[in-house]
Amino acid sequence: MSAAGPAMAATFADVTRLLQSPRVRLVAVFGSLDPDRRVRLHYIADEDRREYRRLECLAAARVPSAAAITPAAAWHEREVADQFGVVFENHPDPRPLLFHENWPGHAHPLLSGQTPVEVDRPPTEYRFLKVQGTGVCEVPVGPVHAGIIEPGHFRFSVVGDTVLHLELRHFYTHKGTEKLFEGAPVLRAPMLAESVSGDNCFAHAVAYSQAVEAALGIAVPPRGAAIRLIGLELERMIAHIADVGALCGDVGFTVPAAYTARIKESLLQLSARTVATRFWRGIAVPGGVKRDLSDEAVAALRAGIATAAGDFAVLARMVLDTPSVQNRFETTGVLSQEAARDLGVVGPAARASGIDFDVRRDHPYGAYAGRAVEVPHYHYGDVLARARVRIDETRISADLIAACLESLPAGDIATPVTSDGNGEAFAAVESPRGELAYWVRIRQGRIARCHIKSPSFQNWPALPLAMPGNIIADFPLINKSFNLSYSGCDR
Amino acid sequence: MIFDIPKLSAQSASVLIPVESLKANAAGSRMPEIVGSRLTPGIAQRLADICPTGAITLDDSRRRLTLDYGECTGCGDCMAAGEGAVTEAASLAQCGAARAALLRRWDLESGAEITSDDAGMRAAADELRALLGRALNVREVDAGSCNGCEQEIIATTSPYYDLERFGIHFVASPKHADMLLVTGPVTRNMAEALRQTYEATPAPKLVVAVGACAISGGLFSSSYAVEGPVEKVIPVDACIPGCPPTPAMLLSGILRAVRESSRK
Repeated sequence: MSAAGPAMAATFADVTRLLQSPRVRLVAVFGSLDPDRRVRLHYIADEDRREYRRLECLAAARVPSAAAITPAAAWHEREVADQFGVVFENHPDPRPLLFHENWPGHAHPLLSGQTPVEVDRPPTEYRFLKVQGTGVCEVPVGPVHAGIIEPGHFRFSVVGDTVLHLELRHFYTHKGTEKLFEGAPVLRAPMLAESVSGDNCFAHAVAYSQAVEAALGIAVPPRGAAIRLIGLELERMIAHIADVGALCGDVGFTVPAAYTARIKESLLQLSARTVATRFWRGIAVPGGVKRDLSDEAVAALRAGIATAAGDFAVLARMVLDTPSVQNRFETTGVLSQEAARDLGVVGPAARASGIDFDVRRDHPYGAYAGRAVEVPHYHYGDVLARARVRIDETRISADLIAACLESLPAGDIATPVTSDGNGEAFAAVESPRGELAYWVRIRQGRIARCHIKSPSFQNWPALPLAMPGNIIADFPLINKSFNLSYSGCDR
Repeated sequence: MIFDIPKLSAQSASVLIPVESLKANAAGSRMPEIVGSRLTPGIAQRLADICPTGAITLDDSRRRLTLDYGECTGCGDCMAAGEGAVTEAASLAQCGAARAALLRRWDLESGAEITSDDAGMRAAADELRALLGRALNVREVDAGSCNGCEQEIIATTSPYYDLERFGIHFVASPKHADMLLVTGPVTRNMAEALRQTYEATPAPKLVVAVGACAISGGLFSSSYAVEGPVEKVIPVDACIPGCPPTPAMLLSGILRAVRESSRK
């Protein structure tokens, strides 16, 4: 689903009123510069899972924080404060988010055309919340972890094995991606979108492309939209299959872990054979897709996906029937529905905590329009529920691909995009991790501002709320059950 | 339960890819290969103009074309615009080569590739190999990657590639490592952690930069939040190009880096 044109001009009182409604979920808060180089704040919220509402306010040097109304706003506002130097009054946690101690305090990179100056002050200490009491120990973990995963810092406060409190510190992989979008020609920038989170690169490229298409009023031909659906669902299958395998690996059940690695690799090789890229990089582009599917490719995809889905279904049943797995997955890392709602959690993590939301069904886009998408959801909020959501969704994705391959429309795969358009728009897709949204402003065919709202950015603050009371040895399992992207969050 | 596994797939036989098929195999990486005989000054100019990362360049006299695999992200634009002068590389001998060896040059008049002095590429002292035997402990460090390279590094441990058959293990601490496999443009927020990881790795050690970002900064080289390629922060011995490199490229790159690294 997308929404084009400028947002509704509003006051902060309007924003407060909107966010106070229990029927509203905050999607994003971000800043942009208007032609007079004044900062404008954009608020996007989902009302009744039906309509994305967009409000825009002119920001003074100090503006009211919405974090007390909806905690989901807290990280967004900290990011705006870092990027634009806006001060949010009464913010519960005004510490820097993107920038660590080795940054100058006045670095607000989106405010000016220049890169910030070198560090000119001694590093300051980042203050973690101190948990005090008899027998409380602090365990720092990261940024360099033990496995082959991305960097981030976790600070546990434990008594014995039991975690009392977990605090995250991220943005180690902050690459200034939103700034790099500025000035990029619209047809070039999908490369940047693909490099926001490599394992969801196709979802990023499609979300970006949809935002550009909405801004410029371009319609994607039905065949192009169908190929996008196939790529998006295949990416979801690959991600979910790998996640279930990794969960098994984290409870020492290595046989299914090896089997899922094999199924995942078979799907990557299938992609390489059919679209010449293992991760569908360089396929999505504003206007449609760059590569058509031959009849042989359609047949190969149909057979390969059916085999993978069949193998995974057998494996998943075996995993769920195994007592040692049940023992470790059940009641571990519970995220309550209330906490998930407060933080605006999206994706499989939300659906495992009883939030029945999926962009594909609730804000249909592209080839999902007019197609029934089954949305599984569970209310336990534990590791098992998050595993079950992924297992169910893998089957549903395979069915969606099969249906799409069955009736692949004929015709063009892309609409040509002229290189000098203007406009602004917002678009969202359901990536494997949840609602992924892009907002773009285009001037003369180039990106003037691009904001990326990744599901990981929204969901990371929820992970610490699933930890207290669990033992520290279960952290890798709980973390993996959320499987959030560090780079997608840090950008 | 667990005994059901052999029934899982009709093709439950081994999927292990033989070593000979892995060697420098670049299928699926979208890395370009130049067909020298098809190069004309006009096409070369178009390729240099169209390349979004500056991997393809012409020299000032416009008589030589340079392709730098360290900058290439495999976007495929040159293949679309090259009128047959650029194809998808089936193999890539540059995996695991030193930075300078990732550059290839063609003479536009003759269409011939200009072979350079490959002194840096020659198999050098076997001392390191003798030291390591065939057991190599690798510590992966993400210094700011998008996680695309991590996906492929993890895939090298899958039953298709089975990195352990070469005696290569991924270890949990730099203190146990012989080799650091570094991905990503080094971000400002990760530079110190990367330096400390390098310090914590006992000598002799090898550093391999994996992917366009780690080798050249890639798409992120001009960002305010990025320090630059890995070699700007710690010494780099070998490079494995790609965006991301495929598991086959990673494996052949790691093996070659060990084979060819000269005495330090």
